[in-house]
Amino acid sequence: MNDSLTLDTAEASRNENVETAREASSIELHGLHKRFGRHTVALNGVDLTIEAGEFFTLLGPSGCGKTTLLRILAGLEEADDGRLAIGGKDITEVPPHKRSVNTVFQSYALFPHLSVRENLAFGLKMRGLPPVEREARVAKIAEFIKLGDLVARRIDQLSGGQRQRIALARALVNEPDVLLLDEPLSALDAGLRSQLQVELLRVQKRLGMTFVFVTHDQQEAMVMSDRIAVLNGGVIQQVGPPREVYEHPVNAFVARFMGHDNLYPITARQGNRLTTPLGELVADQAGEGDLLLIRPETLDLLPGEVAGDNHLLAVVNERLYRGSHAEYRLEVGAGTLQATLNNRGRHLPEVGDRVTVTVAPDDLVTLSE
Amino acid sequence: MRKRTLKRGLTAFWWFTLAFLYLPLAVVVLFSFNASNSAASFTGISLRWYTRLMGNEEILSAFANSMILAISSSMIALGIGCLIGYGMYRHRQRKLGWLIVLIYLPIVLPDIVFGISEMAFFVQVHRLTGLLQPGLITMIIAHVTFQIPFVALIVYSRFVGLDPTLFEAAKDLYASPTKRVIHFMLPTIKPALISAFFLSFTLSVDDFVISFFTAGPESATLPIYIWGAIKKGVSPEINAIAALMIGAVAVAAVISLMFSRRRPA
Repeated sequence: MNDSLTLDTAEASRNENVETAREASSIELHGLHKRFGRHTVALNGVDLTIEAGEFFTLLGPSGCGKTTLLRILAGLEEADDGRLAIGGKDITEVPPHKRSVNTVFQSYALFPHLSVRENLAFGLKMRGLPPVEREARVAKIAEFIKLGDLVARRIDQLSGGQRQRIALARALVNEPDVLLLDEPLSALDAGLRSQLQVELLRVQKRLGMTFVFVTHDQQEAMVMSDRIAVLNGGVIQQVGPPREVYEHPVNAFVARFMGHDNLYPITARQGNRLTTPLGELVADQAGEGDLLLIRPETLDLLPGEVAGDNHLLAVVNERLYRGSHAEYRLEVGAGTLQATLNNRGRHLPEVGDRVTVTVAPDDLVTLSE
Repeated sequence: MRKRTLKRGLTAFWWFTLAFLYLPLAVVVLFSFNASNSAASFTGISLRWYTRLMGNEEILSAFANSMILAISSSMIALGIGCLIGYGMYRHRQRKLGWLIVLIYLPIVLPDIVFGISEMAFFVQVHRLTGLLQPGLITMIIAHVTFQIPFVALIVYSRFVGLDPTLFEAAKDLYASPTKRVIHFMLPTIKPALISAFFLSFTLSVDDFVISFFTAGPESATLPIYIWGAIKKGVSPEINAIAALMIGAVAVAAVISLMFSRRRPA
């Protein structure tokens, strides 16, 4: 297939989309509470503003409330308390079939009694669009998502990845104010998953539509998102762009959830000089917190014993060679430390080597439990 | 060697079982084509008993009654059973074991108990209100009563087999409650509905006991007619009726089975 040609037509259909679609919509949530039964608190006071045209991700472990929040946006669940507005209009009481919001479900939820084409046209038909217009819009979206001859197939003739794309097209064809995605890639294998991540991101950027994406995978969240909200126990822990959430987590939960293991209690401090089980370290931005975060990739290993500020003596306990980089587990002072070293052809210390760990003062982050 | 003997034995047993089940039916069908009057000997092929059937007013009226009864009771049972099946699905999370037992009960209850109860009930209602004189109406009510559980269970199991997210997808894609029924639920359970209808139909056509207790003087169905006619002696005409009924029920049962197996992925 001629790639530039398809890109051009996709671009053209995008422009038409922009003509017919409304402006991208913002989302405002105020004081959302939701309980299931007496004891399960799903959301405990969520306030959040999602900007128009943003790729926004709700990230957290299972049971953190992210899916409940998405379902409240879709109208499939009613909040016990709080308000919800999309595009400045309060829709707290509006039933799901009257909301200009569409969802890509985790199980895809394609109707088995309908063909792919009928699935794509379902929302338009329910809104009473005449058949001619339905067909035109379905054809347009099929071209935009590059569905090709999938449109003529039956649902049971589709693979997982194909179902995922049909589910996406079925939601997008309605040109909703907001698109909601409930772990849409979690059922796919790793290769297909990263391919569809890129595709999804491209679609969102071209349409400029507001996407709210739910995932428990922090890697996926970082790749896709303009901003991430990390949830735990029905409460938003932190909201920010991926770099901010990864590099400056506000508490231990966010840090651990973003994949950080090197967290150490600060037992004493003198100005910027922090005492930890590893030894004494100097941090540029020594905030209030009582925990020190050291990211493995900010560390460097020098052979032998070198003295200086932020130079710690260590013994290599374990080395995992991964080709592009190597992961180290080091014994430092009264603790262990993980370090990641890029493989730039230099010497990679081996297990049992005595080394010196160094870290720049501005790479150290303090946070509270 | 022993394995082969065993296999042959099992095959023989299979054919024996089939013969046991279907030989009596085959005999009836065969003798319905018998040229002679006698049930003792087969003298040649003829359609005379079938043509005789067509001239017998009593049989034609019994046939008409059977059809009216089977079709109308199946339609009514389909409507009510469908709603019950959906209700059972919607509230499946609650502890409804006792309700399920209540719905199963008519299936396992002996027909004779069921028939007598229905009769006693209709007699009381008739005595008190003057309504529900024994006849087609009472038979339809009785048949609907024993058909409903079958319909409800077929519809229920179809709903249980669906991805529950589909209901939410329909809501999400702008379908109002009415449109969800018309464009999602009914088309999705259509195979189950067709299957349930034909099952109800065969149950109704087959039924003798419950019909017998709830029928009036004018509302004899084919099984009731056969019962009455046999008391005067078995005529080859009865074989012809039986052969036709076997054919009709077999067709309905096959349709029911086809649709109960066909489930969209």
